[in-house]
Amino acid sequence: MKSVRELWAYRSLTYNLAQRELRSRYKKSLLGWLWSLLNPAAVLAVYTLVFGYFFSAKAPLAGNGRTDVFALYLFAGLWVWNLFNGTVLGAISALQSAGPLLNKVYFPPACPALANTITVLLQASIEAGILLFVMILLGNVGWMLLLFPLLVLCITLFSLGFGLALSVYNVFYRDVNYLVTIGMNVLFYATPIIYPITLVQEKSMTLARILELSPIAQYVQWSRDIFYGLTMPSATSLIVVPLASFVVFVLGLAIFNRKSRDIVQEL
Amino acid sequence: MKAIEVQDVSKRFRLYKDRPSSVKQLFTKFGRPKYEDFWAVKNVSLDVDEGSVAGLIGHNGCGKSTLLRMMAGIHFPTSGTVTTRGRISALLELGAGFHPDLTGRENVYLNASILGLSRKQTDLILERIVDFSGLAPFIDSPVKHYSSGMYVRLGFAVAVHVDPKVLLVDEVIAVGDEDFQRRCLDHIAGLKADGVTIVIVSHGLGVISDLCDQVTWMDHGVVRDSGEPSSVIANYLRGVNAGEDERLRIEAEASGLLFSPAKATESEMVDDSGNPLEFGVTGEPINMRVALPEVLATEEHTYSLMIQTESGVVVGETEMSAPMAQQDPLANGYTIRCRFDPLLLAPGIYEGRVRVHGGTTVRAEAMRDFGFSFRVRAESSPPGGLLRLPATWLKDNGR
Repeated sequence: MKSVRELWAYRSLTYNLAQRELRSRYKKSLLGWLWSLLNPAAVLAVYTLVFGYFFSAKAPLAGNGRTDVFALYLFAGLWVWNLFNGTVLGAISALQSAGPLLNKVYFPPACPALANTITVLLQASIEAGILLFVMILLGNVGWMLLLFPLLVLCITLFSLGFGLALSVYNVFYRDVNYLVTIGMNVLFYATPIIYPITLVQEKSMTLARILELSPIAQYVQWSRDIFYGLTMPSATSLIVVPLASFVVFVLGLAIFNRKSRDIVQEL
Repeated sequence: MKAIEVQDVSKRFRLYKDRPSSVKQLFTKFGRPKYEDFWAVKNVSLDVDEGSVAGLIGHNGCGKSTLLRMMAGIHFPTSGTVTTRGRISALLELGAGFHPDLTGRENVYLNASILGLSRKQTDLILERIVDFSGLAPFIDSPVKHYSSGMYVRLGFAVAVHVDPKVLLVDEVIAVGDEDFQRRCLDHIAGLKADGVTIVIVSHGLGVISDLCDQVTWMDHGVVRDSGEPSSVIANYLRGVNAGEDERLRIEAEASGLLFSPAKATESEMVDDSGNPLEFGVTGEPINMRVALPEVLATEEHTYSLMIQTESGVVVGETEMSAPMAQQDPLANGYTIRCRFDPLLLAPGIYEGRVRVHGGTTVRAEAMRDFGFSFRVRAESSPPGGLLRLPATWLKDNGR
């Protein structure tokens, strides 16, 4: 609790660190902010080409009963992944690169990770905003979109808790970083993002069940429900997902606080 | 009120010989400690009163910086507690956290927030910071185009304007040019007058004795002496001198020389009747008495006395003495005496160095210096520079 109050007291620093990150990111580049749109667009194009065209994966029919664009179905899951991936990997590298600074001045060591989360959140909202814009054009929107803020909060809490815990262990053992990079790769393909879960269900029901246990799969499902299928997430998932996200965050922060006392001399 | 309370604090660092920095090593080397414990600070207790200035002195690696970092909250003590009251601003490295691509102004906001200030609070002091740094024309350029001096000036300006209750300074003032250093010291003196608690780590004993109300001498992680600045500094210097003598003795033995240098305590200033004096006075006569090791107090040797300032500027050297027959040893060994009448040195602290000339013997190369420190005061108006020049003033009548 005390640590949360301290983080609040240093909110100005978190804000400034995030600003520094954003300001310096596209300095000296011609396209500047456009890059934050071009990057996801390129990824989306590749996935659509490979999986939607080469492998002819089919998207289910959207909530309005007409649309079945694979790229949109994919994008509804991809932004969730980008938010998760960016927050976790960012938390790890943020703490490591804040090392020299933490050796000179005291501030809560969670600040850099928080600042990074803000920049990732901004990127995620741009992506989700584009998705929403296209969906409005296609007339595929519903009131379940009100769940969007809750969804973002859940993903952020979960990813941050996860990232903070990993980042502090990474200070002691740099392998964590490598392990996480591999783990993220595996998790990406283990999550039904570029393929619909029905594809797995056709092969093996058990495997599909296991894959659905992944928290990311739950978030992706939520996002597809509210953006694409225009259905409400199941009642169980409405209770379990926010609760689990919160627990992961508290746990992650607790681990971080316990361990972060002695990290400065290791950085 | 105590602004800083350090109670029985120790800090252990682990010096890894072969650090298990991967998980594989963690398992394969399980149970084999591959590090040595190094106690940078051991059982140190120290209180700093609110509004006072405390100095930390000691040789490199004695733990003073570690102690300062624990006060700043950067390191967490292994045992004991550090309690501080009020906002702490630590000057451990100026401009820490500056981002090269951001402008000076943006970096001021960033730096101030690292020190715990909100945006609004920074708005209020921005102008004063820019003024103090003298960087108004460049404040909207990226700091990567700044010179290192400009960088440091901006960093210092931010650090001292964030209205700290406690200011921790670690030898950073030594980086700027002379003008900047003076402004820093002036500003620190101003903060002191405003009731800011200050802790300074410095090797500049002059700065320490000028600014500090209390001084702590640390040695290998423990407090050797603490209290009134002049006495602690004197003890510290004595310690350093003793260490140097010891080193010289070992060196001398290793290089096959037979004698060891005289200790600083074995020299003194005396008046003409042999009574010891605390200090010399400009314009008055003075005797320097120096004890010599027996092997150097023979007829073969002659001596000269060279005087230099604390910073090593040589003021001058006396004539070489005539060979002196060996006397009977006094209570403090064989001594020689050198009389100045009058003493022309301006007030200050000087170092005397007796140069022993080996005469015609094979030990000619064994001429050694050994020094002692002494102090000169003025009774009347002190001369400028290092010397009162011996001269006479006349009314010029054209001849």
